[in-house]
Amino acid sequence: MPSAIATVVLCFLGFASPVFALDLRELIRQVETQYHGSSAQARVSMEVATDNWRRTLEMESWSLGREHFLTRILEPPKEKGVATLKVRKEVWNYLPKVDRVIKIPPSMMGGSWMGSHITNDDLVKGSQVDEDYTFALLEETATSWRIECLPKPEAAVVWGKLVYEIEKVRKLPVRVDYYDEALQPVREIVFDEVREIGGRVLPSRMTVRPLDKPAERTLMRYHDIRFDLALTEDFFSLRTLKAR
Amino acid sequence: MSLIQLNNVGKIYPLGSQQVIALADIDLEIGAGEFTVFAGPSGSGKTTLLNLIGCLDRPTSGSIRIDGRETGGRTAREMADFRLHHIGFIFQSYNLVPVLTAAENAEFTLMLQKIPKAARRRRVEELFAALGLAGLEDRRPNDLSGGQQQRVAIARAMAADPRVILADEPTANLDSQTSEELLRLMRRLNEEQGTTFIFSSHDPQVIHLARRVIRLKDGRLESDHRQSPKTAA
Amino acid sequence: MLPRLAFRNLWRNSRRTLLTLSAMVASSALLILALGVFSGMFADMLASATEQYHGHLVLSRPGYQDDRDMFAHFADDPDLADQLRRRPGVRGASPRLRAFGLVAHGNTTRPAELLGIDPERESQVTSFSRQLIAGHYPQKSEADAALIGAGLAKRLGVRPGDELVFLTQAADGSLGNDLLTVSGIFETGAGNRDNALVLVQLSWLQRLTVLPGKIHELALTIDEPMAAAELAASLKPVLPDGLALRTWGQLLPEMQEVIASYDVSRLILVTILYAATGLGILNTIFMSVLERTREFGILMALGMKPGEVRSLVLLETLVLAVISLILGVAAGIAMTLYMQRVGFDLSPYLSAVTYAGGTLPPRLTAVLDGQNLLVPAAALLLVALAAGYFPARRAARLKPVEALRED
Repeated sequence: MPSAIATVVLCFLGFASPVFALDLRELIRQVETQYHGSSAQARVSMEVATDNWRRTLEMESWSLGREHFLTRILEPPKEKGVATLKVRKEVWNYLPKVDRVIKIPPSMMGGSWMGSHITNDDLVKGSQVDEDYTFALLEETATSWRIECLPKPEAAVVWGKLVYEIEKVRKLPVRVDYYDEALQPVREIVFDEVREIGGRVLPSRMTVRPLDKPAERTLMRYHDIRFDLALTEDFFSLRTLKAR
Repeated sequence: MSLIQLNNVGKIYPLGSQQVIALADIDLEIGAGEFTVFAGPSGSGKTTLLNLIGCLDRPTSGSIRIDGRETGGRTAREMADFRLHHIGFIFQSYNLVPVLTAAENAEFTLMLQKIPKAARRRRVEELFAALGLAGLEDRRPNDLSGGQQQRVAIARAMAADPRVILADEPTANLDSQTSEELLRLMRRLNEEQGTTFIFSSHDPQVIHLARRVIRLKDGRLESDHRQSPKTAA
Repeated sequence: MLPRLAFRNLWRNSRRTLLTLSAMVASSALLILALGVFSGMFADMLASATEQYHGHLVLSRPGYQDDRDMFAHFADDPDLADQLRRRPGVRGASPRLRAFGLVAHGNTTRPAELLGIDPERESQVTSFSRQLIAGHYPQKSEADAALIGAGLAKRLGVRPGDELVFLTQAADGSLGNDLLTVSGIFETGAGNRDNALVLVQLSWLQRLTVLPGKIHELALTIDEPMAAAELAASLKPVLPDGLALRTWGQLLPEMQEVIASYDVSRLILVTILYAATGLGILNTIFMSVLERTREFGILMALGMKPGEVRSLVLLETLVLAVISLILGVAAGIAMTLYMQRVGFDLSPYLSAVTYAGGTLPPRLTAVLDGQNLLVPAAALLLVALAAGYFPARRAARLKPVEALRED
C-alpha cells in the first residue's frame, strides 16, 4: 500500500495529507456502521455481568441508516416487550408493564442503557464518531492500523480520545479504547468471533469492559443480521415502539 | 533640731536653650510651731521654695531635710506618700474637689491613708467645729462662700495632722475681711495646736500677722527677721 | 470613696457622658440583637439542613453516604430502630431506602431521587409533612403515594392525584418500573430537594428495586443537634457490626464550616461595632482628664499616688462601661425577645436562599443565646478599659507642680 507508506512518511515530516485523512474517516465510518448497512434487522443477545448480578437479554433490533434504531426485548419474561427507540438525538423507552413511554432527558444520556455498560449516549453518538472527531494514524503494523480520534473543539462528546485498532485485510475493528477528558483509559470494546452474518463478514461478538470495574462486562452477540430491508422512517415511530 | 533644714538649695529650670535660676544658695532652718511667711514679688522664687519644701518638686542642688529626713531623690510614688503623711497644703483658689461634699473633701487625705470611716468622721467633726464649719458637712463646694471653701481647705490640710502646712497665697482670692478672719483662725490653730504654718504671700495683711518673715528676691534670700506677733484675736 | 468619686466625676459633663453612654448602650444592644438574628438565621439553617432531609444522625453502611451505592444496604430490623429510639436524647428514627432513576409524566421525564419511607416515622425526623403546598402527606395505607418536590412537580406539570412513572435499575439488574400517584407537593426552599426529590412508601420502593426488607439508612433526630458527635459516640457500642453513624456535621461539612466561621464573623462584627464605640469612650475620657489636669495636680499634692490616679480614671471608665452594659444588655435582650416573638417577614422582598446545605427562609427571627450576651458584654468591658488606659496613664504621669500651674 504505497500511498499509506507515503502518508506515514509525510506525517513524520510534519505534513498532514488531507486525502488520507478522508480515508481514515471513511474507515471509521465503515466500522461504526458495520452492523447497520443502509438498513438492518438483527437478533442480538446481551449478557451483562456486574459485581452484583449477571443476566442475559435476548433482543430484536431494527435500524435505518444511522439515525433510526429500534430494539425490543424478547427475553427474559420480566422485561419482555421493553423497547427502545432512537431517532436522531432522541431516545425513548417503552415500559409494557405500565404501558407508558419514557423519553430519556438530555441530562440522563450518560446513564446506562438497559442496565448494560452501554450508555444511551453510545446509542446516539457512537454512530457519528466520524463526524465529531479528527483522525490520525498512530501506528501501522503488517496486519492492522491504530487510529487515534480526538474530538473536534466544538463537538459535544463525552470522551477525550478514542483509539481504534482495525484489521487491514477485512477492515474490521479489533478493539476500541475509550479515554476520558483527562486522557485516562476508562473503557474498552473488543470485537472477535468473526464470521459471516447476513452475507457479510463481521465480528459476531462485542465485549464492553469498564476499566474501573475489571470484573464487569457487557457482551453482545449478533446471532443473525439481515441487511438492506425495505424499512422506512415511518417504522421508527412511537406507535411501533408501543406495539407488542 | 529644726523641723525643716535647707542646705545650699538651688533650683534651675531649663527654658529653651537657656536655664532659669529659680532659686540659689538657700540655707534655711524652720522650727516646729513656727508661723512663717515667704514674702517677695512674683518671680522671686517663693512658690518654688514652697514646692520644694512640700516635696512637690526636687531641688537641682543642695539638700532638704524634714524631721531630719532627706526629701529629694525619691520616686513620684514615694514623694506622694511623704506628702500624704507629713505635709498639708492650702492652695490659692481653695481647689476643693467640686463633686465631693465639704466633709468628703476634708477627709480626703484620711481616706488616702486608709483610715476607717468612723475615725475619719470623728476627725472631720472635730475640725469643722474648730473651724466654724459645723452644719456644712454635706454642702458641695459650689454652695459655699469663698471663706467657707478656704476653711474647708484648711480642714483638709490639717486633717491628717501634718508636720507642716504649706499655704501658697491663701488669701489671694478673698476679700480683706475674710482674709483677716482666716489668718487669725490659722494663727489660733498655730498657737493652740502648735501646727507649723509656712505661707507664701505678698499680701501685707499676711506678712503683718506672721511671726517670721523671710523675704526673697531673684531666687535668693534677702532678709529673714522675726517680729513680735500680734496675738490672735 | 474612690468609686464614689469616679461615679460623680462622670456626671461633671453629663451631656458628654450621656452621649457616650447612649452610644455604648446602642452599640451593645444592637450587637446583641444582631448576634441574636445571626443565631436565628443559623438555627433556621441548621434546622432546614437537618430537618429537611438528613436528620441529625444517619446510620448506614460505611461509605454509603459518599457514593450512595444501592448495594450498600442492610436489613430493616425493627428492634434496632426501637432500641435506638429509646436511647436518651433520641427523638425519632426513620428507616429509608433510596433509588435514583427517571420519573415521568406525559411527555416529560426528569431524573429524580426516590426516598422510600414510612410516612409516620419519617415525620419524626423531617419536616416534609409541614411543608406541603398542595395535597396531603401520604398515609400508610396509600401504597403508591408519592410526595413530590414543588420544582419537580412544576417541571413535570403534575398536581395531586396525577400519575407518575418511575424507572430505575433494580438490584437484580432488571428495569424496575411502576406507576405512582401524587398525593402531595412539598416545598422546602432548597432547590436540590424541591427539584429532584420524591418521597414514596418504603415497601413500594423495596419491591420496585427488588430489595425486600432492606434499607439504606436509619435517620435519627435528636434533642441536642449541637451535641450530635457526643451522642453518636455514646451510641457506638449498641450498633451492629458493619454499620456506622454519621453526624449532620459530617454529612454537611459546609454547614460545619458555617458554624466555625460563625465565631469568626461574630468577632468581626464585635470588632467593627466596638472600634467606633471605643474611640468615643477614648475621646470622652481623654477630654475629661485634660479638663481636670489642675485637679489631678491638687489630688497628687495632697498625697494621691500615681497608681491611685490611674485607678481613678480606669474606675470612671469601668463605671461608664458597667452602666452601659446593664442598659445595653437589657435593651438587647428586650429587642431580641421581641424579634424572637414577632419576627420580621421578608418574603415580599426576598425568596428563600440555600446555602451550605441549609435553607434560609425569607424572615428575620432571633434566638437568645448566652454566648451572644457574654461576648458583647465582655468585649464592651475590654474595649472600655483599653480606651480608658491611655488617658489614665497620662493622668498618672502628670507632674504635680506642672499640673498645678494649669488653669
